[in-house]
Amino acid sequence: MGITKQPMASLTSEITTQPEPSRLKQLLSTLFNVLKQLASRPLSLIGLVVVVLFILMAIFGSTVAPYKFDALIKGAARQAPSAAYLFGTDKLGRDVFSRVLWGAREVISIPGIATTIAVAIGAIIGMATAYFGGWIDEVVSRLLDSLLAIPALLLALVMLGVIGPSPIGIVIVIVLLYVPIVTRVIRSATLNIRSSGFIEAAKLRGEANWYILFREILPSVLPALTVEAALRFSYAIFLTASLGFLGLGVQPPSPDWGRMVNEARESYERTPWALWYPAAAIAVLVIGVNLLADGLRRIFRYEGG
Amino acid sequence: MQRLDIRKSRIFILVAMLLLITGSVFGVRAAGGTLKVGMVAPKVLDPALGSNDPEVLFNRSIYDYLVDVLPDRTIAPNLATEWKVSDDGLTYTFTLQEGVKFHDGSDFSSADVVFTFQRLVTVKSPATNLLGEFEVTAPDAKTVVFTLKAPNADFLYGIGNQLSLIIKNGTEKPNEIATGDKPYANFNGTGPFMLTEYKDGESATLTKNPTYWKSGQPLLDSVEFKFINDPVTQVNALKSGDVDFIFKISPDQVSGLDGAEGISLIQTTTNQHPVIRLRTDEGPGKDVKVRQAFKYATDRTELNELVLEGRGTVGNNDPIGPGYAAFFDKDIKVQEYDPEKAKALLAEAGYPDGLTVTLQTINVLGYDTLATVLQQQWAKAGITVEIQVNEEGFYYDDSNPNNWLKADLGITGWGDRPAPQGYLAQAYETGAAYNETHWSDPDLDMLIQEASVTTDETARAGIYNKISDIFNESGPIIIPWFAPVFSASRSNITGITVAPFPGLTDLRGVSVS
Repeated sequence: MGITKQPMASLTSEITTQPEPSRLKQLLSTLFNVLKQLASRPLSLIGLVVVVLFILMAIFGSTVAPYKFDALIKGAARQAPSAAYLFGTDKLGRDVFSRVLWGAREVISIPGIATTIAVAIGAIIGMATAYFGGWIDEVVSRLLDSLLAIPALLLALVMLGVIGPSPIGIVIVIVLLYVPIVTRVIRSATLNIRSSGFIEAAKLRGEANWYILFREILPSVLPALTVEAALRFSYAIFLTASLGFLGLGVQPPSPDWGRMVNEARESYERTPWALWYPAAAIAVLVIGVNLLADGLRRIFRYEGG
Repeated sequence: MQRLDIRKSRIFILVAMLLLITGSVFGVRAAGGTLKVGMVAPKVLDPALGSNDPEVLFNRSIYDYLVDVLPDRTIAPNLATEWKVSDDGLTYTFTLQEGVKFHDGSDFSSADVVFTFQRLVTVKSPATNLLGEFEVTAPDAKTVVFTLKAPNADFLYGIGNQLSLIIKNGTEKPNEIATGDKPYANFNGTGPFMLTEYKDGESATLTKNPTYWKSGQPLLDSVEFKFINDPVTQVNALKSGDVDFIFKISPDQVSGLDGAEGISLIQTTTNQHPVIRLRTDEGPGKDVKVRQAFKYATDRTELNELVLEGRGTVGNNDPIGPGYAAFFDKDIKVQEYDPEKAKALLAEAGYPDGLTVTLQTINVLGYDTLATVLQQQWAKAGITVEIQVNEEGFYYDDSNPNNWLKADLGITGWGDRPAPQGYLAQAYETGAAYNETHWSDPDLDMLIQEASVTTDETARAGIYNKISDIFNESGPIIIPWFAPVFSASRSNITGITVAPFPGLTDLRGVSVS
């Protein structure tokens, strides 16, 4: 049924909705607009630059790094930062600079993947519950509310205890933690526009539900979704680092920054640099993502009113 | 100004030293004061069951042993003044100290000893591992007789085991906090200190037993145990003077304390060691050649250098270490490091392209670091390992389906034992409770049995040498090092001799000056 209806639906939408150039072009121009506005605020610009730099680090870090992340350099344990070892070496003689570079991939990819999944699932559930309403909305919302009541780190500790510490475990934990939050935000954003004219119009045209959800509602909640995704990403980085610090994240000799901080903690007096740099990397990245999220929120608030 | 101060303090020190010297000449020791100990919170308080260091230190301060196992592993009289062993080695007769009173004022007698040792059996205390099977009777109030099923060369170590603390006859629930106006009535020992306050997870305060049977002891007025679970916080508390004594300091932190002002670092030689072990009944370790390959692929000197900064004693392939002066074979040929030979052995065993296996380890004692270095060393021999770090409690938990007894390849921490039998009979004899490698070698079993009944030290050393040879040839374990235990106290604390099992440290002769 959906298949036969589709051409007609798109045809009618061309005729009845207000004139628009094309969805893609509109999206691109919005993106350009957003970037321009971000660049015009110094703090947002810093956030943007930091995030881009760290993403580059995640992609190219391992090729640029002078050493492999797990290489023990013979006779070079506990070296202070110098030209040979920019960030010094740790108690085993591993190059901290190289480890920080290698670590970017894990530190960004695990929360990145997890946030993407959580935001996707949360957006769908949020839009659907708000759009359909009724008892489905009630049941799903209460269920997710009860998940929200559990403290994040506690849930993570229990879950990782059960499934065992692994990157996939962390992704599952983050998804479970953030789906309810994203759902709530998107649900309320959807509720605001549910009774708007263009939705009613689409309903009257006889559009399929999926069409209304993804072609009418999604673009409208996209600003909220973007801000939420950026915020969730920054929290996810922090949570992943915390789990790494607690030894529940990725396993050694992984250069996960949280784990590096933990490993360097006990020998802090003698090799403080082994703690400084990964800790600074986490801090700068999280602050950067937060600044970016903040910038996005400002822009969308002005635009969306 | 500066100079004057130094001179002043010099004079002060001189006067203090003079006072101290004259004091000791006249037999007066600087007594009194409070010792504040920083340690992990005890969980199991029952003296027969609380087996970790903080639990034992807490209990041994409130209760007494029949005999004391001294830090050098010799046995000294305590509540028992003397003992006789029958010629067949099956009957031990102890004579008890007179005039000893429990904290509640009641007299100590042979009935208390009988009750204590019978209770060890009923509550299945780990102390029974060293005691073996026995019967205990009290012919009169100051005599106790133990009758053994079989000769046991380590029986006295069982009597002086850290869990063999003498409790009052009839105490069903020792160390259970009671309701009512006498909450600590169940903490009824004959020991040097009495419990006056217990704050769960926070602290415990013990005050001097004024009627302690050993005259002039304890020197301290009180002991305060402050429960600090985090090792870094423990060290900081010592540095700031919040606590006076901490023990089991992690290797990473030792250097930060070495030479620190106002702090004395104490190093104790022990037989504590990590066991890197393969299972012998499944996984790659079934093949003796693979076990050999792992031994050749491990550079123990580098492990000791990198992880312990060279502070340990490099180990071989068996658990009899330098802690046993009489039995440790100093001339034993140390396993050579040869990754090429390891490769060849692996090829012979059917792994020409190397092998891949998961290495299980725990998150304490620097064993995760040990695993990290092993991974690099073994890679040179074509052994690829994936490291899995487990929370210590979880790894040793019976309910964990992948616990330490199940892992194909893993690192286990073995604490100090008063005698080698503590390892051999518990972990390497066929069917032993903690036989984590599932090893079964009839020759080894026979030798372990023989050693357990051989009281002559030289003969026993000979048996242990044979046992070491078996471990070298076909054993499934690698001992990278025997670790010293590090403790530290504030410099004004005197009289602390830390035992190889730090919880056994005797606080009776400790004082604060």
